[in-house]
Amino acid sequence: MNQTSRQTISRKERGQIFDAFGKHISKGQIRYLTAGHLDVLEGERDGIRFYESQSGKPYIDGFSSAGCFNVGRCNRQVIQKLEAAADDYDMGTYGMLSAPKIRLAKLLADVALGDLNRVLLCGTGADAVEGALKLARGATGRNEIVSMVKAYHGHSGMSLSANGKDHYKELFQPLMPGFRFALFGDLKAIRQMVSERTAAIILEPIQGEGGIHVATDEYLRGLREICNQYGIMLIFDEIQTGFGRTGRLWASEHSGVIPDMMVLAKSMGGGLYPNAAILYRDRSELTGYVDGNPGFHSSMGGGTDLGCIVSASVIEYIVENKIWENVEKMGDRLLGGLRRIKEENPGLIVEVRGRGMMVGVEYKQEFMGILMADCLATHGMFAAYSANAPQVMRFQFPTAATAEDIDEALEIVRKAIRLSKLYLLLLGPLSRIPFVRTMLNKGDILVTVNSWLRKIAFWE
Amino acid sequence: MDTTLQEKQAGSLESDAPDTQNKAPTSVDRKGDNAPMDKLIADAKQVVGNGFVENLASKGMDWVESGRQGSVVHDSNGNKFIDCYCSSGTYNLGRKNPAIARELKQAINETDQGNFVMISREKAMLSERLARFTPSGLDCFLFTVVRGEAVDAACKLARGYTERYQLITVNGGCYGQTVFAMTLSERADKKDFGSLIPDVQTIPFNDIDAAGRSITRNTAAVILEPVQTENNCRTADKDYLVALRTFCDQTGALLIFDESQTGFGRTGEKFASDYFGVLPDIMLLGEALGGGMFPFGAMVFTSSVKTFFDAHPLIHLMTFGGHDVGCRVAAAALTEYDQIQPWQNAKKQGNILKKWLQELVDANPELKSVQGIGLMLSLEFESAEAADRFCRSAIQQGVLVKTGEIAKHSVIIRPPLTINDQDLDKIVTGIEKALGSGGAH
Repeated sequence: MNQTSRQTISRKERGQIFDAFGKHISKGQIRYLTAGHLDVLEGERDGIRFYESQSGKPYIDGFSSAGCFNVGRCNRQVIQKLEAAADDYDMGTYGMLSAPKIRLAKLLADVALGDLNRVLLCGTGADAVEGALKLARGATGRNEIVSMVKAYHGHSGMSLSANGKDHYKELFQPLMPGFRFALFGDLKAIRQMVSERTAAIILEPIQGEGGIHVATDEYLRGLREICNQYGIMLIFDEIQTGFGRTGRLWASEHSGVIPDMMVLAKSMGGGLYPNAAILYRDRSELTGYVDGNPGFHSSMGGGTDLGCIVSASVIEYIVENKIWENVEKMGDRLLGGLRRIKEENPGLIVEVRGRGMMVGVEYKQEFMGILMADCLATHGMFAAYSANAPQVMRFQFPTAATAEDIDEALEIVRKAIRLSKLYLLLLGPLSRIPFVRTMLNKGDILVTVNSWLRKIAFWE
Repeated sequence: MDTTLQEKQAGSLESDAPDTQNKAPTSVDRKGDNAPMDKLIADAKQVVGNGFVENLASKGMDWVESGRQGSVVHDSNGNKFIDCYCSSGTYNLGRKNPAIARELKQAINETDQGNFVMISREKAMLSERLARFTPSGLDCFLFTVVRGEAVDAACKLARGYTERYQLITVNGGCYGQTVFAMTLSERADKKDFGSLIPDVQTIPFNDIDAAGRSITRNTAAVILEPVQTENNCRTADKDYLVALRTFCDQTGALLIFDESQTGFGRTGEKFASDYFGVLPDIMLLGEALGGGMFPFGAMVFTSSVKTFFDAHPLIHLMTFGGHDVGCRVAAAALTEYDQIQPWQNAKKQGNILKKWLQELVDANPELKSVQGIGLMLSLEFESAEAADRFCRSAIQQGVLVKTGEIAKHSVIIRPPLTINDQDLDKIVTGIEKALGSGGAH
């Protein structure tokens, strides 16, 4: 599209936006984002790109707000549905019934796997995780929850208690007792941890923030077996993996393992309006508990009339266009391309992994995450490193990406790596000293160092 | 799969679109392309659950919410109700406020939710607007989505900022569904969910001595609703809140007001903190901020408390919090609040309504009392059954009311703050009739 026709803002206005954000929200966030060159203001958003507000510079969106834009940014079909709906509906009354709510609940039950055909609508991913864990404890009468090391389920109290990284928890302790953490992929550890006191095992079929770790089919089948044996509720957090992201409508289709509960959010809102849901199996422990306690998790602001109309339209779009087919093809192209880049640059990348358009590149050093974020941004791609594993760069493009888009993205990665090598000329020798390496891998110090590097960098 | 989807589309949105002009009070036969109420309810029983629908039936709410505008909501048969529930205080500006709806439509053509970790023009602009709207001194924000999440964020912020653990709340509170909020709330089913958040102490409401004994240098925060809406609109004494402020100042604990329901004019003042003249360190705002068109709330705090977020960036993340579309919608709602100043009408109509309700209480042995301030008023019945029975009758008389979540023997009356004389009359008439017929059911 023609760059010059885009509306841009002045340098002064950009400054005012940063001042207001710093004054009223967080100066620390600005400092942090600036170091990673993520201090970009999103102006117009369209398809797989957005355009920076001041310069109009196009960026490929490699983050998609952690997988929210599976129907693309500003999808016309969804916008039109919401526009029409705003004439007739508002949020509706929480806890009451309406045609949009019932219709969405039926639609979700129809497209979900197996007997996952009961629905509880929620407001956000964290809210849905809280609801699922409450349901597991309520239905089983048990207290213990098993989660995974590096797991990420949200920041509200219970979802945070299930978070597998101390960084997010340590300042707010004590959180909920009864949570234990197993290494992702280690069935033996699970067997040692569970008993008839375990209410639930919760995991992401592909860990997103944890650094794009794909659960093997055998692991998931093993978990299913263990859960059956002890009467434990198996919960899949498909907040990032759902709605076509992995090359199937649901990540659980790869293994065929049907969890007792599936938690959905992010792309369910089409990038336009928040919505979330828990789908649970039609089995007596679960339905019995919900029927006896219909208000056990009634989320205000969740499952709104407008939100349900958006979500229904998102599902229709995804199913009509079978977007998972493109995701699988383009995901393979992306994975293959990144693996070639790994070969071209020995010693830089440890592993390229992922499924569909949820791909992670693990660098050798933790500080490479922030450095590459910077270099990618310079060349026109917005990509974030994993919150719970900063050495892993995540690529989660809007799923409509074409072969040309993927090739362009790969070219940007190549350019960014060349640029990062300039930085590494300086950082590389230093980082061989163990003490300096430890320091560099500390988030705070890295933020300072990288901000300083960005200031002196002559190539920008 | 595709066939199923097309079948689902058969009951299209357009055909269900509510007709706000339709004044026919009787039920109408729906044509084949419409989803009739019975069919929808049957579907709901199947996918949402029998228990859910039965519970709604016990409240007289087992119907399908359809058209809505201003103070009025319709069911899908065209019956009209004055909305005195307002989704727990969401619709202060009335149902489907046209100015806010317009901005939603505009915003989705210009922006989307944005990448959540980023700085955005929408977030910055809303924060400036909101800083001019909230009490002076409370000008820093974290934008949230569902009620309860803001409570969790506030408890975390208090612990992080003070480096203390203990959280103190009062009995009879109702804060939400996430786990900090639930731990602080008084609800019977809490035990179902096992061990919750440790180091939470509950003290008796309005008891200054108990507060003085409990709040110490180990206390991170004292959190309460200035008016416990769901608990028969139990209202804090001004002296009590002043004393809490003093104890917090003396010990370094933070004072947190949950204004999810009292905010945006419900009490007859802009915020309950204005009504009582006591300024908290953290104030929580509910869905009224999004004007009922977008799920949007906020945690509001002082610049001193904000230093925690400056030192620990991205420590509390939310994908949908600070949604760029939501920021635009909330800014439009603030413009409406500024123009209409609905707290003035809330004070005026609240006084009239309370006087009327007091007369009803005096004349009717079934009613024990009327409580509350502004347009958050509560009728107290002898029992939860009597309260449910009354709600069913009132709904039949065209007044949508609901019992309190905590005091189940109370019925809360909280219409839109913009309610006019005519609709207020309808509320009073409806309630009178419902009381007259209530005993027979």
